[in-house]
Amino acid sequence: MKKITRRSFLKSTATAAAATLAAPVLPKGLYALARGDTPGYFEREFGITDSVCQKVLAEALAKGGDFADLFFEHTISNWLILEDGKVNRAYSDVALGVGIRTVKGDQVGYGFTQELTEKSMLNAASTAATIASAGAKKPSGKFAWLETKNYYPLKTLLTSVPLESKLPLVQSVNDKCFALSPLIAKVNAGYYDQQKRILVVTSDGTKAEDLQPRNYLYASVVAEKDGKRERAGWNFGGRRDFSFYTPALLEELAKTAVDRAVILFEAVQPPAGEMPVVLGPGVTGVLLHEAIGHGMEADFNRKKISTYSTMIGKKVAEPFVTIIDDGTVPNLLGSINFDDEGTPGQKTVLVDNGILSSYMYDKISARHYKVKSTGNGRRQSYQHYVQPRMRNTYMLAGPATPEDVIKSVKKGIYVQDVSNGEVKIGEGDFAFYVSQGKMIENGKLTAPIKDINIMGNGPKMLRNTTILANDLKMNKGGSGACGKGGQAVPCGFGQPTCLVKSMTVGGIRR
Amino acid sequence: MKKEMYDLAAWSIKTAKSAGADECRVGISSDRFVNISYRERKPENIKEASRRGLGIEVFVNGRYSAQSTSDLRKNALKDFISNAISTTKLLAKDPYRTLPDPKYYKGRAELDLEILDPDYKKFSPEDRHNMVKAAEESCLAKGGEKVISVTASEYDSYREVILMSSNGFEGYRESTYYQAVAQMTVQGEGDRRPMGFDYAAAVMRKDLPSPEKIGASAAKRTLDLLGGKKIKTETLPIIIENRNVPRILSGFLDAMYGANIQQKRSFLADKKGEMIASKYFTVIDDPFIKSGFGSRLFDGDGFAAKKRIMIDSGVLKEFFVDWYYSRKLSWEPTSGGPSNLIIPPGKRSLKEIMKDLGRGIFITGFIGGNSNSTTGDASIGIIGKLFENGKPVQSVSEMNIAGNHLKFWQQLVEAANDPWIYSSWRTPSLVFTDVVVSGL
Repeated sequence: MKKITRRSFLKSTATAAAATLAAPVLPKGLYALARGDTPGYFEREFGITDSVCQKVLAEALAKGGDFADLFFEHTISNWLILEDGKVNRAYSDVALGVGIRTVKGDQVGYGFTQELTEKSMLNAASTAATIASAGAKKPSGKFAWLETKNYYPLKTLLTSVPLESKLPLVQSVNDKCFALSPLIAKVNAGYYDQQKRILVVTSDGTKAEDLQPRNYLYASVVAEKDGKRERAGWNFGGRRDFSFYTPALLEELAKTAVDRAVILFEAVQPPAGEMPVVLGPGVTGVLLHEAIGHGMEADFNRKKISTYSTMIGKKVAEPFVTIIDDGTVPNLLGSINFDDEGTPGQKTVLVDNGILSSYMYDKISARHYKVKSTGNGRRQSYQHYVQPRMRNTYMLAGPATPEDVIKSVKKGIYVQDVSNGEVKIGEGDFAFYVSQGKMIENGKLTAPIKDINIMGNGPKMLRNTTILANDLKMNKGGSGACGKGGQAVPCGFGQPTCLVKSMTVGGIRR
Repeated sequence: MKKEMYDLAAWSIKTAKSAGADECRVGISSDRFVNISYRERKPENIKEASRRGLGIEVFVNGRYSAQSTSDLRKNALKDFISNAISTTKLLAKDPYRTLPDPKYYKGRAELDLEILDPDYKKFSPEDRHNMVKAAEESCLAKGGEKVISVTASEYDSYREVILMSSNGFEGYRESTYYQAVAQMTVQGEGDRRPMGFDYAAAVMRKDLPSPEKIGASAAKRTLDLLGGKKIKTETLPIIIENRNVPRILSGFLDAMYGANIQQKRSFLADKKGEMIASKYFTVIDDPFIKSGFGSRLFDGDGFAAKKRIMIDSGVLKEFFVDWYYSRKLSWEPTSGGPSNLIIPPGKRSLKEIMKDLGRGIFITGFIGGNSNSTTGDASIGIIGKLFENGKPVQSVSEMNIAGNHLKFWQQLVEAANDPWIYSSWRTPSLVFTDVVVSGL
């Protein structure tokens, strides 16, 4: 069902600057060698040659259409899970298949198959072709490799890291959590990694192959005190080389999870009502993603169902506010060398000094608006069609210090982490659960808070963002996935400390 | 396909055992689906495909892992299974991890659950397109001049699942599913563009309401959102609309799962046999409902399905405990999760109830929120209508309710006579008194 609700991002984290390090441009061969691999994986493993692709694309365009593409995927995912002190279960999944799409205007025909045989692929292509009803169109006779940068180089393929190296990570997180506090009653910990190989072949003659790594390490703890229990968790990850998981990082992970659970014993419910809200740096960027970012995805605007559909070129925020969606930040969860339609990874300015300057486009929306795709065409897997989706979305830093921002509030709340966000695209209304935060009283952080929602309106929140601090942090988590139209894709986000001058806080009545 | 699936499951078990597994369990699923959506009176998306997947759980020297794959080429599968077994050998032992005692497989009911539409193959591409077009047209017509965009869609599937274990379990389930959705966006005040939808789903096509009805209802639900705003914080009776009850109920149910109980994440762990809600709160897990989405003769462990009263007039009777957590808890297992979940409907209609309640809020949607299975604390945004003496007064949004499940369900005073039948959780609208609804 195509329902515009999104319950997203699990646990995530702060720290690490939005360093947009320049990644070297490499020709395809070198680029692939940098990952310990040679190009042509799908040809080698599954016999996917140019001539097979051409035949299948010709079938997809047998009844006309503007263009067609093939999306091959071979993904291996692994989970190692600890419960009651031992890493005693493992799960793994292998996904193999090809999605075939025929596009005519804004109409899409889609078929997929898990059998990479010519016969199966031709069948799926003829399903996709049914969207059009004109004469056959010919795909390109030649396919050229797309040259891309590599935003997630690996020293070792994740599938080549032995289990014996991964298991101690998880065990160590468990032991550290118990060592940190006598209040810890239960620890669940785990390590997840995924190696996704994709090949995109388009009817206009482009082919692009990528290996997208993804991993994270998490801890979730239950603490007990005076007959009461609280639970919290944390994770670190992204598109990381295995060397990312250092002893110092494990320590930080365990400490964060434990501290977040233990502090809840002292937490209070703040009074309900309208009040100023300070968003802390990093993980609160999920609010920016949900409450504002989704409304800037081009499909919602092309269909005029987003509140931003009439606002391009107009003022949507104070002049010091700039919002960026960026596929090029090294090793972040939402980074992509190219999107799932073969458009290179790039950085897109959405709000430029307060003015709405661009939506996020996939190919269909870009053709509608007569602009170039911004490389936001993404899909969950070969079973799914492309939608405009965010990559890593963040707001640039401002001049204030974080202390200045907090000092400016007489009575309000400071939000350190939010979860379970949901947004109504057309109205811009959203609600988020505040999983970690503090009261602000007379310009100072006081009691920790819990069990409250913050509610508001995305465009209004953006207009009400009145102070920005100089501490932009990107979320360093790896477990988050954004949901849209029944599809989950990994996204990143970041945020400097900022003041939203008024929001509805749903707590208790005083 | 059934025989082919049986053969593949048996082959996988044999392969796993000869590669070193002591025991194993295999599940294979296969489905074919069609999904069509329309916008601006033309197809927006047409999607159709078949897929298959195999999952295998292996038990090796007291160790356990589970693996799944869509690559069913025999050679690939052979390597896959042997890798699974080598991986498992490196894990820590888990003395609680075994296949279930086969005695729980016994006593499987012999009845036709009627979860397979005999006419599924007669559902033609033309039927599908006509259904979606009709829903779109009726939504557009009812929406009138305020319409910005309407999307209507259908999804239907035929699905087979087989489960086989090395200690003698075999089960097969074959089912059909139909769903129709209409979604509308309208021009509201200023830049606001409220979006609403309606949907229905059924195992038998004949049980779906007409597409015209779904389209018109989607339009009505969307128009009802217009003018939504928050009102002053007030203590009021609330009615949660039937289809929205599962969102709140699932937060309560989280505390009833064996895993959460054993992992100290349940506020209900020590409350079995206690009155934990008002006498109007009864929850039944019924796997034998004719044409229910959750209807089944066996569960994921292979246990013969049983009807159970989970909460009886406010008293907590049972938990959802699968084989593994039953061993960890040293409890008798029930089933790892619900099949069809029923809150028995009451006698009065929504209309009658609203008339008697005076001033209250009818909640037609939730937004965001959280429910903590460890403490029972919950908080969620609401969308709905303020009513007085049965008459709508004002659409409300950006409001919030917060509390604890152990108190909230004590405030339940009545169930309406309107169970929502298009879900495996068949819940009627529920009335709660004295709820603080916070807004301005």
